[in-house]
Amino acid sequence: MKKYILKRIGMSVATLLVIVLVLFILMQLLPGSPFNDERLSIEQQQVLMSKYGLDDSVPVQFFRYVKNMLTGDFGKSYTISKNTDVSLLLQNRLPTSLLLGGLSILLGSVAGLLLGVAAALKHNSLLDSMATFFSVIGVSIPSYVFALGLSYLFGFQLSWLPMLYNADDGLRAFALPAVALSMTVMATVARFTRTEMIEVLNSDYMQLVESKGVSGIQLIFKHALRNASISIITILGPLVVSLMTGSLVVEKIFSIPGIGQLMVQAIQSNDYNVILALAFVYSALYIFVMLAVDILYGVLDPRIRLAKEGANG
Amino acid sequence: MDKPLNQIIQNKVADFTFVGQKNIKVVDEVYEEDSYWKQLFKRIAKNKGSVFGFIMITLIAFMALLGPVISGYDFDEQIAGHESMAPRIPVLENLGVFDGSETLKTSTGELVVNKYETIEGGEEVYHWFGTDVLGRDLFTRTWIGTRISLYIALVAVIVDVFIGMSYGMISGYYGGKVDNIMQRSVEVLNGIPNLVVVTLLIIVLKPGLMSITLAIAITGWIGMSRVSRASMLKLKESEYVLAARTMGAKDISIMYKDILPNIFSQLLIMSMFSIPSAIFTEAFLAFVGIGIPVPMASLGSLISENFKSLTTHFYMIVPPVLVLALLMLSFNLLADGLRDALDPTMKEV
Amino acid sequence: MKKLNKKYLWLSGLASVLLLGACSSESTDEVEEPVEAEGSETDEQVLNVQLDVEVASMDPQIATDGTSFEVIANIIEGLYQTDSDGKAIPALVESAEKGEDGLSYTFKLREDATWSNGDPVTANDFVYAWRRLADPDTGSEYSYIMGIAGLVNANEVLDGEKAPEELGVQATDDYTLEVQLANPVPYFESLMSFIPFFPMNEDFMDEVGDSYGTSPDTLLSNGAFTVSSYEPAATSIELDKNEDYFDADNVVLDGVDYQVIKDSQQAMLSYQNGEVDVVTLAGEQVDLFKDDPEFVNVQAGYLWYISPNTLVEGLENENLRKALATSFDKQQITDTILKDGSVPADYIIPDGLAVGPDGKDFRETSDTYLEFDPEAAKESLEAAKAELGKDTFTFGLVVEDTESAINVSQVLKSQIESNLDGVTIEIEQMPKKTRLELMKQGDYDLGLTRWGPDYADPMTYADLWVTDGNNNDGSWSNAEYDELIASSINGELSLDNEARWEALKETESILMNEAGVLPVYQKGNAVMMQDNVSGFDFHAVGLPRVYKFAVKE
Repeated sequence: MKKYILKRIGMSVATLLVIVLVLFILMQLLPGSPFNDERLSIEQQQVLMSKYGLDDSVPVQFFRYVKNMLTGDFGKSYTISKNTDVSLLLQNRLPTSLLLGGLSILLGSVAGLLLGVAAALKHNSLLDSMATFFSVIGVSIPSYVFALGLSYLFGFQLSWLPMLYNADDGLRAFALPAVALSMTVMATVARFTRTEMIEVLNSDYMQLVESKGVSGIQLIFKHALRNASISIITILGPLVVSLMTGSLVVEKIFSIPGIGQLMVQAIQSNDYNVILALAFVYSALYIFVMLAVDILYGVLDPRIRLAKEGANG
Repeated sequence: MDKPLNQIIQNKVADFTFVGQKNIKVVDEVYEEDSYWKQLFKRIAKNKGSVFGFIMITLIAFMALLGPVISGYDFDEQIAGHESMAPRIPVLENLGVFDGSETLKTSTGELVVNKYETIEGGEEVYHWFGTDVLGRDLFTRTWIGTRISLYIALVAVIVDVFIGMSYGMISGYYGGKVDNIMQRSVEVLNGIPNLVVVTLLIIVLKPGLMSITLAIAITGWIGMSRVSRASMLKLKESEYVLAARTMGAKDISIMYKDILPNIFSQLLIMSMFSIPSAIFTEAFLAFVGIGIPVPMASLGSLISENFKSLTTHFYMIVPPVLVLALLMLSFNLLADGLRDALDPTMKEV
Repeated sequence: MKKLNKKYLWLSGLASVLLLGACSSESTDEVEEPVEAEGSETDEQVLNVQLDVEVASMDPQIATDGTSFEVIANIIEGLYQTDSDGKAIPALVESAEKGEDGLSYTFKLREDATWSNGDPVTANDFVYAWRRLADPDTGSEYSYIMGIAGLVNANEVLDGEKAPEELGVQATDDYTLEVQLANPVPYFESLMSFIPFFPMNEDFMDEVGDSYGTSPDTLLSNGAFTVSSYEPAATSIELDKNEDYFDADNVVLDGVDYQVIKDSQQAMLSYQNGEVDVVTLAGEQVDLFKDDPEFVNVQAGYLWYISPNTLVEGLENENLRKALATSFDKQQITDTILKDGSVPADYIIPDGLAVGPDGKDFRETSDTYLEFDPEAAKESLEAAKAELGKDTFTFGLVVEDTESAINVSQVLKSQIESNLDGVTIEIEQMPKKTRLELMKQGDYDLGLTRWGPDYADPMTYADLWVTDGNNNDGSWSNAEYDELIASSINGELSLDNEARWEALKETESILMNEAGVLPVYQKGNAVMMQDNVSGFDFHAVGLPRVYKFAVKE
């Protein structure tokens, strides 16, 4: 197992490097330069391009970038926060986004699991229909509609929770955005749990466990849910991706200083270094989640672990 | 707390006995020698939810085709003076609802306005869903938008089935080096945020339906490939697959004839889920300004567009959200029905 | 710490009561109000302001956008500042002496101004900042403004031909700044209130280096406020009153808190909740607030126009351009779509931009052009069809992906198509940077674009459309126009202010009569301001908002 994990980590690092290369090439295809402001003359643009080393050949730029990146230097922002180290921007904004994303996953998964289990146990009942209804609403309405609705109701009408992000509010500041973001997670997890649980509950294996006299909570959570969760874990990866997209919008509505807002701005203003750095951060995050999923998968389902160990030496 | 759960379990036991009886019935049906599709149809028809879903989808598709024709307006027709009018529907207006009046919560007090009474010839004007800020009929725009969203739903499912499912199955089935290479490529592709890939593509290709289709085709299938790979991993070591292999069945045949029917239901549900995510990708593109080009509309772009009037003219965002939610609900219910009908292990439940 | 603060606040509250009582003898109400608020923590006068975008840079020589300028202007003071009428009034300058030929200035600086690290503000700070602005190595996007200011050797330094030290500015002693100009610049003093000309402390810059303006510790202030909380691209910024500011006695606010809120509905909800005091409204919400006493309409200097690419087949035809220019109802665009106080533009030099030698606004004494006239548009189109031998035209219209630009472009499309038979407009929406790139490369047909004034003179617009001009995207060209502009900048006309003014009117009429660009509207802003806030200025040029004398009761 240890060997497998080590190998898996090595592979992830290699993947990340390939991604950086691909991103770097993609970036060269982007039309426009960061310095096409109306007020700059062609000569001044040239000066700026050479100041930031953008007139060097692509391989030169690439190796310089990777070299600097290893020391934590992601270059400077050209337009969003002029002349500022991108690493400084990340340092300020990444923790906020991670916290928000983490809270949303946690909130959504717990709610989704409960909803899914309830629906599966009361299959074809009113409760099941209600659960289906909730989860359908969750995936059918974009998170920004939720966000504004929540903000209007709890922030403006009832004044229970802050409408705008303020670092002084601590976790309270995250309440509304996290709920808005977690709707998709909840819905997806609930759907998936329901399907998986129904399948597991009907399996011979469960009948065996049941006949052994294992009962109640233990039966559901230890045996049934454990089996169902193997498949649920696989959707964690895509969920993280959908959270990234959702956060771009929700961060804007609640004025949260996170990386989602930064990303949209960077793309719209051709801030190459910020796009590259953020794309890298998103990629690293995703790959980390996939790595965790793979390892968890192995822990939870011994058959897969064995198969993998066999396959990977 | 323990007791109700115990009861639940007992209910389950009852379920299991029920199962057995039904199984026998199915054997009977086979003896009747109905065709596979006829059986399928019968089973789907038994599920009320799926029937409802199917009818709703048909209805929505029908309205998408007919709505813009019967409304009497063009989707991009801006009528001067008709900006931001509340819904007005014949007959219903006599009941005091949908009579074209709306309450504006201005900062200096609530104000009831009815634009139909103030504009010239307004008596004869009907906008069933109201109009947007540019004076375009929302009924027409909603159904035009539904067309685009249905098209995107279709693209998403096709991409999922043809690319995602096959990719995941092949990767999972062969395992080893093949799996490794295929998964690493997916990781690279998926590791790059969708937004970057899609934005880039659309900026290079110019915004339009074609670029959006391509964008979904390039990134949409990855989730499906993961699930189908995971299912494949779970099943490929099972006895019946081993049996088929020992009997000399070809890989392709094992994959598509033996394994696929067993995982198809799960995959179909997943592909139904990729419909909203595809429609949302489109909506998101609309949000950052590179979605379907104006004045064309999709449900997603209508939501983004009318979202800006949420606190002022609430009625504008309702039709696209409602149609979208109904569409999603119907797809889900239909998916459930299909799964129950297709999946041999679960058809009796 | 908290208690101490309260005590201090109480004292300062008392002091302000005394001060107010002394100042306003006619009003007795005002004396009571602050007393009421005493004791509670909210008696601190902190103005909460909404921004719709983050500050891009706190560095006066690097920043380029209005938001950054607004925040910088609160913490750094220049030679001049803008008063409520938009005129330049002395700030750090004690006296200014203009050479007889208009080619030199001598500024005496006040000696009681200090930086927040204790250093005095000297003439050397200006010399350092100006050289820094002009130095190509700084990479300032606004460096060209040095050429506009007309300093000796400015353009040579910008192009890297001469060292920054050769720029026509010297400090003869600590408090005397001497400037040499290559040609007379009638608006030189007004330019001096523009942020890029603000001073920087060289010693401090050497100390913090590249990290200038990344945290409160790496920022220096000589203005009305100091920075207490800031980070790059922050969504909230806190400013405190600068007690060492030379004019601190006249600053009433205890601080300014900025909050970035991009969603306009959310911004409005926060305003109604009382979380922000000043907020900018977007189109639809104006309907709900236009009757509110707290609603303010402010005219901005930005002018939106369509740039036709004259190198594209069809658009080289003057009649076709005229047909397009007169075929859309500008009034409808401003009244039903924008609603924010924007006004139809039948001109290219904005209203309220500049006052001439006659003391009157440029627009007061000049004509209007290219008014909406569907009949005339049809006639021009027929003429164009005959001249070009073509009956149908299809043009792309590039627009940026902001709500207002997209809505305006849809109305433009609908109106042009319905008023001009055979003309089809295809809207191409894209991020602003991409639009700018396409337009600079001349890879477009029609482009909806805008220009904001850099200084209070018609030249800030007029020199855009000279042949081969850097921003003449549509490649429109007219020899007479070029000649008049060149002469107004550094030829004969530059010496005669009245003749120059007339010449600028002439250039506008040439450009408009040939429909070299198609004006659409002049931007306005719809602002909500709590009724306890006053003393707050809005400007069309340079600095949009100034807070120094703002009061929140």
